[in-house]
Amino acid sequence: MHDTSSHAVAHHGPPASFIRKHIFSLDHKVIGKQYFGLAFVAVLVGIFLSWLMRLHLGWTNLAIPGLHLLSSNGAPGNLMTPEYYLQLMTMHATIMVFFVLTTAPFAAFGNYFLPIQVGAEDMPFPRFNMMSFWITFLGFIALMSSFFVGDGPTLGGWTQYAPLSAIGQAAGPGEGTGVVLWAISITLFCIGQLLGSLNFITTTLDMRTRGMSLMRMPLSVWAWFITSVMGLTAFAVLMPACILLILDHVAGTSFFVPSNLVINDQLLPHSGGSTLLWQHLFWFFGHPEVYIAIVPGMGIVSHVLITSMRRPLLSHRVMIYSMGALAVLSYMVYGHHMFVSGMNPVSSIAFSFPTLIITIPATIIVLLWLGSLYGSRLRINTASLFALGFISMFISGGVSGFFLAQPSIDILLHGTYFVVGHFHMVMGVAAMFGIFAGTFFWFPKMFGRMMNETLGRIHFWLTFVGTYTIFMPFHYIGLAGNIRRYQAFTPDYMQQFIPVHKFITVAALLTGAAQLIFVYNLIHSRFWGKPAPDNPWEATSLEWSTPSTPPPWNNFGDKMPVVYHDPYQYGVEGSTGDYVMQNSPERIETVRDEA
Amino acid sequence: MSQADLTMGTHPPGLTTGLPPFSVSAKKMAIWLFIIADAATFAACLVAYGFLRNGSPNWPRPFHSVMNVSLMTFILLTSSLTMLLGIRAAKIGDKAGAFRWTMITAVAGILFALLHIREWMALIGEGMTMFHNPWGAPLFGASFFSITGLHLLHVTGGVIALVVVGFRYMRGRYNADDLEVTGLYWHFVDLVWMFVVPFVYLLNLAQ
Amino acid sequence: MVDAPDVQKHEPPSRYTDPITRYLLIYFCILALAALQFVIAYSHVDTSAKFERMLLIAIAEAGLALLFFMHLWAEKRGFLLFVVVFTGFVLVAMQYGWTDSYRMELGAPYTQPKVGVVPQ
Repeated sequence: MHDTSSHAVAHHGPPASFIRKHIFSLDHKVIGKQYFGLAFVAVLVGIFLSWLMRLHLGWTNLAIPGLHLLSSNGAPGNLMTPEYYLQLMTMHATIMVFFVLTTAPFAAFGNYFLPIQVGAEDMPFPRFNMMSFWITFLGFIALMSSFFVGDGPTLGGWTQYAPLSAIGQAAGPGEGTGVVLWAISITLFCIGQLLGSLNFITTTLDMRTRGMSLMRMPLSVWAWFITSVMGLTAFAVLMPACILLILDHVAGTSFFVPSNLVINDQLLPHSGGSTLLWQHLFWFFGHPEVYIAIVPGMGIVSHVLITSMRRPLLSHRVMIYSMGALAVLSYMVYGHHMFVSGMNPVSSIAFSFPTLIITIPATIIVLLWLGSLYGSRLRINTASLFALGFISMFISGGVSGFFLAQPSIDILLHGTYFVVGHFHMVMGVAAMFGIFAGTFFWFPKMFGRMMNETLGRIHFWLTFVGTYTIFMPFHYIGLAGNIRRYQAFTPDYMQQFIPVHKFITVAALLTGAAQLIFVYNLIHSRFWGKPAPDNPWEATSLEWSTPSTPPPWNNFGDKMPVVYHDPYQYGVEGSTGDYVMQNSPERIETVRDEA
Repeated sequence: MSQADLTMGTHPPGLTTGLPPFSVSAKKMAIWLFIIADAATFAACLVAYGFLRNGSPNWPRPFHSVMNVSLMTFILLTSSLTMLLGIRAAKIGDKAGAFRWTMITAVAGILFALLHIREWMALIGEGMTMFHNPWGAPLFGASFFSITGLHLLHVTGGVIALVVVGFRYMRGRYNADDLEVTGLYWHFVDLVWMFVVPFVYLLNLAQ
Repeated sequence: MVDAPDVQKHEPPSRYTDPITRYLLIYFCILALAALQFVIAYSHVDTSAKFERMLLIAIAEAGLALLFFMHLWAEKRGFLLFVVVFTGFVLVAMQYGWTDSYRMELGAPYTQPKVGVVPQ
């Protein structure tokens, strides 16, 4: 039997120095934790910014002490200016989308568990992996520094629509240096994620241990694999787009600035560019990005749920094919973000149709979860609760997607809070629930200690209820015509929404504060939690078979695991209980799904 | 033998191999994935260029002669051939031959870059910059310099890679597979040029 | 799920040691195609026709280079399909925007009133 797979690449030895062990580590587990830490810091910043925004939306004339510290442009009398509000909004979105929703479920958990779950010692290119994190980290620093450089961060929104993003200072504070820093940050992020994707794909294809056939990989591995295939080309398109945007700023070109543009009573010298070009390039990345954020969550949730249900999904294959179909279709639907952009109306139809089709695999995925849950004896713990919460959020947020997929309805709703509610639920909070589920599920393996279950459940219920309280009203006021991206609601017809906004603000502050429970739980359990057994959830996949907890530097010690079974052998007569681990050589009647 | 055979004596039912599905090694897979991503990057640039060119009524057509670009094309295509010969020599164990052909390829790359820079200089001398040119739509300079600049960056990186890999191959640190991986990248740079020439140069020939 | 190995044992063909004559043949084919592009550039057809022909020839050149210079032909068919289909799909999906490219310069074509259209 020739065994080219596991030993095709030179491996690194155990880390020798402190720096190699904790900072410039080549170990995928340390890099995964570093990504986790980065996402953790980023999400705290992101929540903090959303608090400031919500306070302002609820009580427009409220002076927030210390507000001027965050913006070099200043906030006169600690009152938020409209530009300040937009800056907060832009930074909130950029931080959350890129540095939380992409890094945590994909880069952090993927880095840590993908190689272990396929039975590899490490990724094939540990140096690329290290660079991937540090380049991403530099990107985060570049983004954060825009708070303190020039006249503050950009106010263009995370989509950075041209021409306002491309003309510099004339468009307002932060549109000069702020945009350049934003674009540099995203360019770096793209490079980092490209290196990461390269590693993920080669690990999945080439580093699987003996017996680990493709269909024997856990669903989380499939999700990360599919995500990295998407990321490979999506980030590759955003990168040149950002570079062209930088050129518009520093080289005087006008890729995205049309002729004869008058901004703030100045006629700009640019000519010949196209604003729609930016949107096409951006959303060609942007839509796959939505799936890059959510598909790892789907994998994590499936993995967690199956372990808690003690039975495999109705169909392993259909789940994989559906996630694959999401990935394929995600390239064909990006124009549904552009229905109101002045795009050719014929293209709107061409984008609307696949957008409606993409709901089919998404629905199949949800039905697979629900069908498998039906009649199962679910073990309730925080991880499985968050997995259920993910499904709930994904359905509630996804249903409004059916409306938004149709241009005629989207044109009415696109500029309102309806869209804000939609994407926060289906992509933002759902992915966050996936992250929480993964954290509670894998924390014992990552840090060798259990998280506090009581605090976890309190945190879950507060977050679950809080999320609906925040984002359902978004849908209602959106339908009623509340325009988004406004910092205050002065027109007569919008003043009636102010009480709703106050309600949402209170809910957001409380839900945000509930996250402190999680922060406390995380930090407290990290140092003083109950020591974790090797396999606390009685799960079957390889990450629970490591010789120690947390795993040693080469994951499996000297003996590489050999895989004998399909990933989810629950509900069988095994020697250890109702499950048989993938690397256990005992012969059993394989649990097969019905499909 | 493997652990399974030691513990079980025979192959247990259901033990399958974890061979890569494409029988492609990790390094080669990585370079192909990079090529796919890079193809998307270049395609995005070319689409942006075509998009802008379509929408500009006064798109300039400044190229009077195809001498330089045809020479550059010839050199780059030929360098692909020499690269192939180098990899072939490496695969049949002819180390000196492989090194020689790799270095010839690198020299061809340098020649290409020099010709390219000469052409840039001539265009800059005629008054073409990123934001201005004497013939028409200013975006011509922007897109020309961006696309050919990105390509030139790839050529430069490729030359450095060829030299480094060539010398390390000679010293025995790298093997024929590493040379092959570098070769794949070099062919890709050539492949991109096949699209840059007609769209950026030949469509903008002076009538 | 099937227990059969997902990978058949693969005997690598005599890759990369193709006869030099084949390399030369492919090389001259590509050179000829490249030359053909220059001929088309000087032909008297309109730009869009030129573009189409040049694109076809460039794809043919690239195909030859992919298959024989980059040895895709000698890899497993599955790998060839993966590279070509995946890359092709992504590149084709990128082409949605073209119809918008005519609508940007000075708002064209909508700022020039069409003949016979009465403004409301």
